[in-house]
Amino acid sequence: MSQKEDFSELQKLLRLKRLETPGQEYFNRFVDAFHTYQRREILQEEPWYAKVVEVLFEPWVAGVPRLATVAASAACLVAGVAFFLGPIQSGTAQLADGKVSHPRGIVVAAAQTNASLELQPELIETAAGGEEIQDRPLYVNGHNALAYDSRLTF
Amino acid sequence: MSAETVLPPDLESGPTDEELVASTVKGDLGAYDELIRRFQGRLYGVIYHLTSNHEDTNDLLMEVFDKAYRSLPTFRGQSSFYTWIYRIAINRSFNFLDKRKRRQGAMSLNELDEDGLPKLDLPDVSPQNDPNKSLMLNELQNKLNESMLKLSKEHRTVVTLFDIQGLAHAEIAKIMGCTEGTVRSRLHYAHKQLQKSLGIYLKK
Repeated sequence: MSQKEDFSELQKLLRLKRLETPGQEYFNRFVDAFHTYQRREILQEEPWYAKVVEVLFEPWVAGVPRLATVAASAACLVAGVAFFLGPIQSGTAQLADGKVSHPRGIVVAAAQTNASLELQPELIETAAGGEEIQDRPLYVNGHNALAYDSRLTF
Repeated sequence: MSAETVLPPDLESGPTDEELVASTVKGDLGAYDELIRRFQGRLYGVIYHLTSNHEDTNDLLMEVFDKAYRSLPTFRGQSSFYTWIYRIAINRSFNFLDKRKRRQGAMSLNELDEDGLPKLDLPDVSPQNDPNKSLMLNELQNKLNESMLKLSKEHRTVVTLFDIQGLAHAEIAKIMGCTEGTVRSRLHYAHKQLQKSLGIYLKK
């Protein structure tokens, strides 16, 4: 060990901190103080949601939210919005001609064959009753590729 | 580089910690009081050296024993009670320090509440009889606390457990959930940092 790495004097100094105690009297009274604390805690027990609120909002109140808190809050918000607006795809049904009906009255062409998951250009029926080709579906629903004409108003 | 070794409490006389835990779970509240008496001094030390404030330490110590009491039925004995309750104390202190940091920014050393520091309990030295010595000791105490507060909480913890409480590297590793190598490396880094800031108080 080199001279620079001799920490024995430092360690002696640190041991001085062992003397920083509140005194024996404090420890003699601690158990009684703890019993008082426990009784008070039981009487003031908060409902379960108080902890949730504290965990979610304490960092905001403190002014510096953690990334995890922001992410959790965003996820809760999205889940809440999704819950109240209802599932987007509920009520869709496969029609006999291969098209898919949507609860908002839009009929969508299913473009994916059973043999392959490869996406193909979509045949869309517009609100006016015409048809047109759309190259890229806006999203994919598991095994059936669904494409919506973005010009249609919902 | 060895520290005075403190024997785990279960090697002291009387029932072991595990026996006291079993009695507590069965409803013997006196057994838990005994566990509190065994650990209050050591846990006070750990929390105090992390927070540097007596009031905060007192509140956290109550919380730690309360949390441990409520969690005892789920204590499976995979680690010793000694390790388990130390871990609770350190986790609670870390949470508290994180909250304090978010509220106040990094704690300003000028805001260090000197009234919150326990008075040095010096059995052999009598500062009242020597005002100069008392002054110097107070200055040294403040400087030591300032230097400790400059360390990260992980580094402060290993210094507290090793240098002040005298635990072995292996014991610290179990408490902190890391390897002995990590403990040694954190200790080395912390010593270097402290040596730098406390250099003028050390004999050359």
